[in-house]
Amino acid sequence: MNKLFKNNSEVNKFSPVKLSSHHLLAIEGMQKTEIQKLLDRADYFANLDKHADTKYLSGYVVLNVFFENSTRTRVSFELAARRLGAEVINISLINSSIKKGESLLDTASTLNAMKPDLLIVRHPHSGAPLLFAEYLSCSIINAGDGRHEHPTQALLDALTIKRRIGYLEGLKISICGDISNSRVARSNIHLLTTMGAEVRCVAPSTLMPSSLEKLGVKCFNDMKKGIKDADVVMLLRLQNERMSGTENPSEREYFNFFGLDETKLSLANPNAVIMHPGPMNRGVEIASALADDTNRSLIKTQVEMGVAVRMSIIEALNHSKNKT
Amino acid sequence: MTHSIFKSIKLLNPATNFYQKVNVVIQNETIINISKDLNLEKFNKDNQTIIYDCEGLTMSPGIFDMRVNIGKTENLKFTQITAAESGITSMAILPNQTPNLNNPSIIDHIKRQSEDINLPKVMVYGAATKDLNGLEISEIGLMSEMGAIGFTNGNKSIKNSLVMRRLMSYATMINRPIIQHAEDEDLSGLNQASTTSIRGEMNEGEISTRLGLIGIPACAEVIIIERDIRLAKLTGAHYHVAHVSTRDAVNAIREAKKSRLSITCDTAPPYFSLNESKLLTYNTAFKLSPPLRSEDDRLAIIEGIQDGTIDAIASDHRARSKDTKAQPFSAASVGASGIETLFSLTLDLVHKKIIDINKAISFLTINPAKILGIDSPSLEEEKVADFIVFDENEPHTIKQENLKTSPTPFDGKKIRGKILATYINGQVAFMNHIFKNKIIK
Repeated sequence: MNKLFKNNSEVNKFSPVKLSSHHLLAIEGMQKTEIQKLLDRADYFANLDKHADTKYLSGYVVLNVFFENSTRTRVSFELAARRLGAEVINISLINSSIKKGESLLDTASTLNAMKPDLLIVRHPHSGAPLLFAEYLSCSIINAGDGRHEHPTQALLDALTIKRRIGYLEGLKISICGDISNSRVARSNIHLLTTMGAEVRCVAPSTLMPSSLEKLGVKCFNDMKKGIKDADVVMLLRLQNERMSGTENPSEREYFNFFGLDETKLSLANPNAVIMHPGPMNRGVEIASALADDTNRSLIKTQVEMGVAVRMSIIEALNHSKNKT
Repeated sequence: MTHSIFKSIKLLNPATNFYQKVNVVIQNETIINISKDLNLEKFNKDNQTIIYDCEGLTMSPGIFDMRVNIGKTENLKFTQITAAESGITSMAILPNQTPNLNNPSIIDHIKRQSEDINLPKVMVYGAATKDLNGLEISEIGLMSEMGAIGFTNGNKSIKNSLVMRRLMSYATMINRPIIQHAEDEDLSGLNQASTTSIRGEMNEGEISTRLGLIGIPACAEVIIIERDIRLAKLTGAHYHVAHVSTRDAVNAIREAKKSRLSITCDTAPPYFSLNESKLLTYNTAFKLSPPLRSEDDRLAIIEGIQDGTIDAIASDHRARSKDTKAQPFSAASVGASGIETLFSLTLDLVHKKIIDINKAISFLTINPAKILGIDSPSLEEEKVADFIVFDENEPHTIKQENLKTSPTPFDGKKIRGKILATYINGQVAFMNHIFKNKIIK
């Protein structure tokens, strides 16, 4: 690592990041330097004592608007915002206003009238946060939209890897499982390829999206080949709620070919780490014992890093809005 | 007795392969004189003659738009008026409206409702199957007697092979075409039983993968066409494929035409003007059925237009309210407006030197009439004065705010060619201010 880079990194850690946009809608299109700065700042937050005074955003109003079920992401955003001193209101809109027939934009403009500074949106439809960003005046964070992107998850995954291994560039990272239905996979592909990692995607052909290799990854239907020499094995949940029943013969067949067990893992780099965005289906995509192996599994660290990453993002969006 | 004289106009009449600068005189509903040398004395006796200086302008038969959806945002009269302003003098409407056009009395009702002789003629496709359910054949013989010009399930595919076979077979007795929206709806995830988790939203490929939208593979179109071609062979029916959008479909139809089957097809401007990359911003104005395809497919549609595999161009008009489009892509309605841009987008093929103007106008006029077995419009002496006057070079920009129907997928597109006047039965159905200023007497 060259000296200049290190210096920049040091500077990044102690001041809020300025981004080219005051929204975080997708990783696709983000600059490498922006990602780098967000990760450095998040790393700084991760090292702080949890009682450290980071309340830079008092009076800042955050609406956590979830149109889809979520526990970990919602709580993680809420903690991040609170640690920055912001006021957080959680709104669960699963079915409620949709059932009453209100259009998404009416819901959005109602929320906008309450003058929040930031809207954190999770929505079952790909592209919905973009629609919010077009019509609303506050900042928007995409907390997961349909099958499109989940940018904060990719950032927290990157921070988790960096803190364990030290760098991203040149790492062999295998993303395994239900790629088709996964927004986590898409955000990770964009982020990791932008940062110079070698990304492989492993999935049954029925869950491998069309032309995926055009996103700059290598595709494998054979997990043993796909995770050979991998430094990181990322597993994805089978999203049965987004399937039609024609994708997989059975869970046990899936586990046989695509579930991570000791045998398959032995083909990876001996020091390979295991990641999973959660929630896990033990015995389906990962053998239970591996998930709990604290030497190899970073699953809990991922959750922990979520708060630090989201602090750095919320702070950055506020900073980017004020300065533009 | 009023005469209208169109002085020095380029008369383009594909039916007789006529394209010359002439003077055209109409009296009441009839064209009474077409000549190179205008004898003003003869027509100017009663001082009620209007003379238009048509230097640089073109006259052709009015457009026959063979595929129009009357959606919830419109009523028939509104669509007729908008059509007249867009150069359309006849249009065929699809049966999938509320209520369905699935019985003889409703066909008769629509015809009577739209009989205003000063507005575009409305022709009706009857529902091929009862309630468009695809299971039982509707009374296509009786509907045909009431004037239904063809039978289709509208924007749904006729899926069941036996039903399609019977329909085609029966249609040969009444000499009407079966019009198919070709899409394997099990494959595209759009059959009625499909859960929202698999409903196809756009063309399948790199872009659907990037956007996280559910892809419809291009072959969903040709799978149905290939089956139907075999059934057309079995039954001898006239089979027409609507809004062809893929290379494979064009190839399959091209091959089938070689074996002298009675097979025709049309396409619509989005499929030769746009491709799937337009969806990259989740703009719902581009959410169409069939979906916008790849650039290679677009080029194949153009080849099909050039070599005559594709017979006609229709608007495939399916206007939608702003409310149903201002939604996340997955939740937004399908379809876009088309009648207002049909003429200029087809003329764009001429400006891009893809086809000549004679062919372009044929695609919009005599070809659809031939497909549907209707008298081909022809501008000759003693014929009815149903025609349009246009300036093929008038530059303008398509702007949503200037259109009466929405959404247009062509907002902001710079284009040349403008309708200046539409005459139906010798009466002015539409005339814009530019043309009004052309009156020299």
